[in-house]
Amino acid sequence: MGGYGDIQMIDENGVRVDGRKAGDLRPIEIELGVVPVADGSASMRWGTNYVIAAVYGPMEAHPRKIQRQERAVLDVRYNMAPFSTTDRFRPGFNRRSREISKVTADALESVVQLELFPRSKIRVEIEVICAEAGTRCVGLTAASLALADAGIPMSDMVVSVASGKVNDVVVCDLNKEEDNYGEADLPMGILPNSGELVFLQMDGDLSPAEFQEAWDYNMAAAMNVHEIMKEAIAKKYGGES
Amino acid sequence: MGQPLVSELLRDHLQELANRDERADGRTQWQGRDLSVEIGVLERAEGSAKVVMGDTIVYAGIKFQLQTPYPDRPDEGGLMTSAELRPLAGRHHEPGPPSPLSIEMGRVVDRGIRESGCINTKDLCIIPGEKVWQVIIDCFAISDDGNMFDAFALAAIAALQNSTLPGERFDVGEDRPLPVNKTPIMCSFQKVGGRFVYDANREEEVGGDERIHITLGEGDHVHSLQKGLKGVFSASEFAEIMDAAKVRCAELRKIVDSL
Repeated sequence: MGGYGDIQMIDENGVRVDGRKAGDLRPIEIELGVVPVADGSASMRWGTNYVIAAVYGPMEAHPRKIQRQERAVLDVRYNMAPFSTTDRFRPGFNRRSREISKVTADALESVVQLELFPRSKIRVEIEVICAEAGTRCVGLTAASLALADAGIPMSDMVVSVASGKVNDVVVCDLNKEEDNYGEADLPMGILPNSGELVFLQMDGDLSPAEFQEAWDYNMAAAMNVHEIMKEAIAKKYGGES
Repeated sequence: MGQPLVSELLRDHLQELANRDERADGRTQWQGRDLSVEIGVLERAEGSAKVVMGDTIVYAGIKFQLQTPYPDRPDEGGLMTSAELRPLAGRHHEPGPPSPLSIEMGRVVDRGIRESGCINTKDLCIIPGEKVWQVIIDCFAISDDGNMFDAFALAAIAALQNSTLPGERFDVGEDRPLPVNKTPIMCSFQKVGGRFVYDANREEEVGGDERIHITLGEGDHVHSLQKGLKGVFSASEFAEIMDAAKVRCAELRKIVDSL
């Protein structure tokens, strides 16, 4: 984590710079079908994050050498739009985006029922339109919504949240200042129905007790986000949420 | 995934429609799709716009950077326009380096804005010979259902006219609105079934021939032209679309100027 310093990010009453308490999530809004030409799509506003995910497929996998006889291949791309950050984000090859694309694909492959679509390809495109903090979590969550919107069978949704530590206090769902100047960041991808994990990263410094606290925050937050996701899906497709 | 296999059938279908003076989605020859333009939609950009034309959706975001001026123009800032057709925006858009099409789009949008003189590059000077602003217009496709050229151009000028030079963040004075003096507007036409139509959708693009892009400024001054794709057209055909462009550009200018 970057510059741990004298920056006061939690006041004596436990209120964070954006007015939240330690365990609070930022406001979340979900919209499905935001890319009309795609087979499925979703956008998530999560704090000031705005991320759009679109799904194309299942379609023929080409070139042929990428085909798998027994299952579909998942082609996942995470990218930041040039205007998504305070300083312009230069388009082109980027190691960070490549890594996030890979771990996002690894997470989604664990839930998408790929064996139903042998020799085909499913494309998942994640674009960060406005970045605050936790874009990889928002991207992964939005991607699972877009897959659901495309009608692709999954064993569970993926809900991703990051908790961390600022000024020695463990807090849920880090914002930009907390992410930049905080002491730890623990993003997790959680399957809300089974409670299992498909995505896990961490950097910084957490004691065993702090780690457990951050872990528990993520688990609880994922259940809350899942409710919002179910509402958005029920709103478009009807039925019990 | 390359060109759809149905192109010959589609071409025949579009030809039949054209023979009856109809279009596949029920529009008339010079009619555009439903349009909305929204400004100030991107929190991290210094100026921004979202344009929706039917199922075509784009953003334009304005960013500023400091740069050293060119020695032969010590008191002038710079302007750069890029257009990105990421694979998010359609199944036919491939990942990888910018496609020739997206480069063409960026350059055609850039020419219309640059040549209209809507930005006086001397307004971008901070310290002559040392420090000037570079304006970067990033056009970004969300959903490509055809005519990205017009969507990008419209989003670009709308975003530009509502952008702020971030002097405070770069420690070079106060924030101030970017002066934009004119409203260049692009109108694009595609030959479909042997005749030109305005604002072709994706189906018309796939089953159509050449396209022509016209950017007009105040008093119908022409600032940029581009002919793209294979095909021939006559002087009278061009005169006809120029007349249509004058009418539509004036309508769109009113929309942009009222934002």
